[in-house]
Amino acid sequence: MTRHSRLLIPIAIIVAAVQIGVLASMIMSRAAILRDGREVLLEVRPVDPRDLLRGDYVRIGYEISSLPRELFEGIDAESGKIDDPTVFVRLEAGDDGLWQAVSARFGAPPAATPEADQVDIRGTTLIGNISRAQLIAVDYGIERFYLPEGEGKPIEEGLGERPFRMAVAVDDSGSAQIKAFYDGDELIYREPLY
Amino acid sequence: MAGYLDKLGKDITRWRASGLVDAATATALEADARAHHRAGFSFGSVLMILAATLFGAALLLAIAANWEAIPRLVRVGGIFAVLIVGYAGGAFAKGRGHHAIAEGLWLVAAVAFGGGIALIGQMYHLSGDEADALFVWALGTAFAAAGLRSGPLTAGAVLLAGSWMAFVFGDGGPGRDIPVGYLVFAVALWAISLWTASVAARHLILLSLMLFVVLLYIEDELLYVPMLLAALSVAIVVFTSQRPVLADRVSGLGDGLAVQGLLGFIAGMSIVQAELYEGPYFLPVAIVVFAGIVGALLLAGRDNRALRWLAYAGFIFELGFVYLTLLDTMLGTAGFFFMAGLLLALLAWLISRIEKRLAAPEAGEGA
Repeated sequence: MTRHSRLLIPIAIIVAAVQIGVLASMIMSRAAILRDGREVLLEVRPVDPRDLLRGDYVRIGYEISSLPRELFEGIDAESGKIDDPTVFVRLEAGDDGLWQAVSARFGAPPAATPEADQVDIRGTTLIGNISRAQLIAVDYGIERFYLPEGEGKPIEEGLGERPFRMAVAVDDSGSAQIKAFYDGDELIYREPLY
Repeated sequence: MAGYLDKLGKDITRWRASGLVDAATATALEADARAHHRAGFSFGSVLMILAATLFGAALLLAIAANWEAIPRLVRVGGIFAVLIVGYAGGAFAKGRGHHAIAEGLWLVAAVAFGGGIALIGQMYHLSGDEADALFVWALGTAFAAAGLRSGPLTAGAVLLAGSWMAFVFGDGGPGRDIPVGYLVFAVALWAISLWTASVAARHLILLSLMLFVVLLYIEDELLYVPMLLAALSVAIVVFTSQRPVLADRVSGLGDGLAVQGLLGFIAGMSIVQAELYEGPYFLPVAIVVFAGIVGALLLAGRDNRALRWLAYAGFIFELGFVYLTLLDTMLGTAGFFFMAGLLLALLAWLISRIEKRLAAPEAGEGA
């Protein structure tokens, strides 16, 4: 027996442990956002119905998924070229409890210090040049809601007819994590930590 | 490669008939060839790998179904259990000499790792992270392949890394469109494939690099990129034909390296040709393609059946392409074909003269 084959079982256990460790750390980091992140409530907006349901998840758009150009600070109006697709959007709670975008910036959070009722959420934009764009599309990594097979249809149909809301946890770095899904004011899903 | 045994059997019968070998030697030669041959390929291993792939697909689909009857923490625990049982159980089976079972179990475990990543994405409703997920999966599989010295896992890691590369290209978006890091990944996987002795993985790496060039061209439309691929491929074919021993030591691919070289040449030149087919460069490009194919045939085709077939296919394809596209007029194309045919006939005549003069008593191999 070669040295490698004698050590094979310990090596295999190390391989399994490392892969389990990777998976566990992914779970922990997500659970940490859920546990410690600030909760914001976002207005859900129906997206193109042909695209709504792909397999086992519902595609979800938000009021803040497309932002008017005026909200952005420091856009290079000349070229309109975006070097860093990362977008920081400052949210503020409205009177109805829904959070709205008040300002945004590419590459870094808006310059002014956020007030107590404000939260910065991080996303990415898919367009490389905004010289002609009036609305800027932003993804936050919370655009899907996974459901047990076959349960997506009623929500897909409901999205076009009545308001849905999503409670989202946002951590200090701006990472967002879906927390709870509301049909109007009625809670339909709440995510456990693990 | 049953063809090899058939051919050898015929040769041995002929040698026996002409008295070159006696009956005992003939039987021994044939038995040795058969025994050696069987060691290289086992239906048991292949079927086990196919079975493992099916188990893996079942596992992934079961996760995708998001079945509520099983609480998700139990699902996570199930994945962890599959990882431990798969990797450690495979190592145990390997120690007992059950290689096929070992590779099958490891493959299921590697798929379960990807399944775990997908499950977490589902638990936390992540979107837009497919590229990162594929990357982590590929990295984890490459790690397992290196640690366990597994050929099938190496090939699997190459497929996953290649999928990541293609996905990043397809995903677009500013700042993340060209996965240059794949080149580093490919070098690392190449090293792992030498350690795990996986010829299949090395072939897949070369194919994925060709795909990289094609996608790079689609992204940036820089014509020198496919030209560079074609030039590099020519260098590879020349290198394998001039220094076959060294080439095999570096690549471990044997005859396969020259085949990859010719394939790379055809892939690169196809892009160049598709780009330049309207205009004055059409004729020169077509001449380069024909010359390259014939050159590869002459340099490396003698003992390389796969390369010969690829060359024939490439030649016929190019002929058809030029025939259908036409150089200005039908008459012009006819003239081009006539001149090219004349040149090849002349070349054939020259070569057969040289071969006769060298009086190499080698039997023609047919196709």
